[in-house]
Amino acid sequence: MAKTVKHKNLAKGNAIAGYLFIAPFIIGFVLFLVVPLFESFYMSLCKVTSTNGAGFAYKFIGMKNYHDVFFKDAEYVPNLLTELKNMALFVPAILVFSFFMAILLNQDFKGRTFVRAVYFLPVVLSSGIMLGLETNNSLLSGMADIIKKDNSATSITKTLENILLTGEKANTFFEYIIKLVDQVYDVAIASGIQIIIFLSGLQTISPSMYEAAKIEGCTAWESFWKITFPMISSMILVNVVYTIVDFCTKSNSDLMTLITNTLFVKFDYGLTAAMSWVYFVIIMGILGIISFIITRWVYYYD
Amino acid sequence: MKKIKAGRQPNRSLAGDIGVAIVLIIFGCFFIFPLVYIINGAFKPLDELFVFPPKLFVRNPTTKNISDLFLLMNKMGNITFIRYAFNSLLITVVGTGGHILVASMAAYVLAKYRFPGSATFFKLVTVALMFTGYVLSIPNYLIMTRLGWIDTHLALIIPAFASPMGLFLMKQFMESSIPDVLIEAAKIDGAKEGRIFFRIIMPLVKPAILTLMIFSIQALWNNIGTTYIYTESLKTLPFALRTLASGGIARTGVSSASQLFMMILPVTCFMLAQSNIVETMASSGIKE
Repeated sequence: MAKTVKHKNLAKGNAIAGYLFIAPFIIGFVLFLVVPLFESFYMSLCKVTSTNGAGFAYKFIGMKNYHDVFFKDAEYVPNLLTELKNMALFVPAILVFSFFMAILLNQDFKGRTFVRAVYFLPVVLSSGIMLGLETNNSLLSGMADIIKKDNSATSITKTLENILLTGEKANTFFEYIIKLVDQVYDVAIASGIQIIIFLSGLQTISPSMYEAAKIEGCTAWESFWKITFPMISSMILVNVVYTIVDFCTKSNSDLMTLITNTLFVKFDYGLTAAMSWVYFVIIMGILGIISFIITRWVYYYD
Repeated sequence: MKKIKAGRQPNRSLAGDIGVAIVLIIFGCFFIFPLVYIINGAFKPLDELFVFPPKLFVRNPTTKNISDLFLLMNKMGNITFIRYAFNSLLITVVGTGGHILVASMAAYVLAKYRFPGSATFFKLVTVALMFTGYVLSIPNYLIMTRLGWIDTHLALIIPAFASPMGLFLMKQFMESSIPDVLIEAAKIDGAKEGRIFFRIIMPLVKPAILTLMIFSIQALWNNIGTTYIYTESLKTLPFALRTLASGGIARTGVSSASQLFMMILPVTCFMLAQSNIVETMASSGIKE
């Protein structure tokens, strides 16, 4: 992707216009994200107590908060591990599902607009309403109860699960699949944006490419792997980043609840900050590694 | 409704068509379920709300929940319902407008130009995406105090301008859907940066703008905002509704009505914008 306008005498003008355009965002970004970010890092190294006015008193205590996170808090490390395990499970599932859905929705059929709108709905309904719905919804909890009851008896899925798990090849793969089926609703609901991103990527592929490939004798299978896949690889990167971020910042996970409780129930600001920073750094590391790997095979079409 | 137009793609079998339709319908039901449930819930009489196992569809629809909601609203003291709604609407409209403008301007530059520091800055934004909001709340509060924005709507509106997710999505859309040739052509014809941005870029990324709009409306509209705002007449609608709905089990009907109420604005906006959001984003203005 050659983005640069390469004339040298224009370069300087471009830079000035560029800075002008980006200035409002940078100001807001620095003021409301970078500064608070550093402040929270400093807080994580301190014992923070709120003074009677509107202020907070900091007392520098070095790495003690971080030590507490790992060695004193009984819940943090297990919650963190569960969260990472869930992420390893959900992120690929969401990506595959949304890619698959995007391909289906990219076909020509009657009422396509309507169906696409339906698939975008969770995004519109998310946050406030959906979260409220999921936490205090008698229907969902009722359904969960019924499913649980069924499972303790002899339900088909349970039997199947037992058969698969007790077989010779009973391994993590089946557990993975079973867990996925259990949570297919969660996966589907979390993939609204990813479907849209993939869809927009699919639509930028010029139909003439497929035509040319067809004339050359490519089968649909071949043109999928040789045209669709490389052309959409940049969108895969976007979606991986988006999915991981979306997953790890959603507020209803156990880890998030723990962090929030430390803040609003125990009022231990320093410890909260330390917890968040540990989480942040781990997610960053994962994201860095994954995007480094993906960037190597992302194909940019010029 | 979701039937596949037969014969549209000659190389696919009828069985394949039916398979695709079935998959789409099954998952479509998943996606539409919350909407149907909320709408039905708002019209359920109290005894139906407590039926176990719960029913999806309402049997004897009633508007009692909704009238109860308004009745309680009026009893709430001297702040009228309109005032809360206006506060939320103000925050949503100004915040969304500003966010779209600021984010797309920055995204345009990051997507189409290279200047010192641009790549680093974008990386920084991506990093910032990952940081959880809760920890920032105290430092943010301190900053608001220093700016003197506590107890004003500015504290909710201005930070929304610089939300990194908007920039991230916008930059990716612009990078993949606007050809450089187009900008070059405009330059050759003598267009200045501002003109290129408002006349060429913004219309072209309309679908992305509308997507961003939905995001932003949905985040701001649901903003409870009690962290920064204390004056009763400045508080938001979600706050008022939540207070009403949290009156114990007897308020279950009111609570489900208020869920419907909160949903109206985002869903209406989505309905209006949806053909643009989900239809083609390929219209880049250049034919190959």
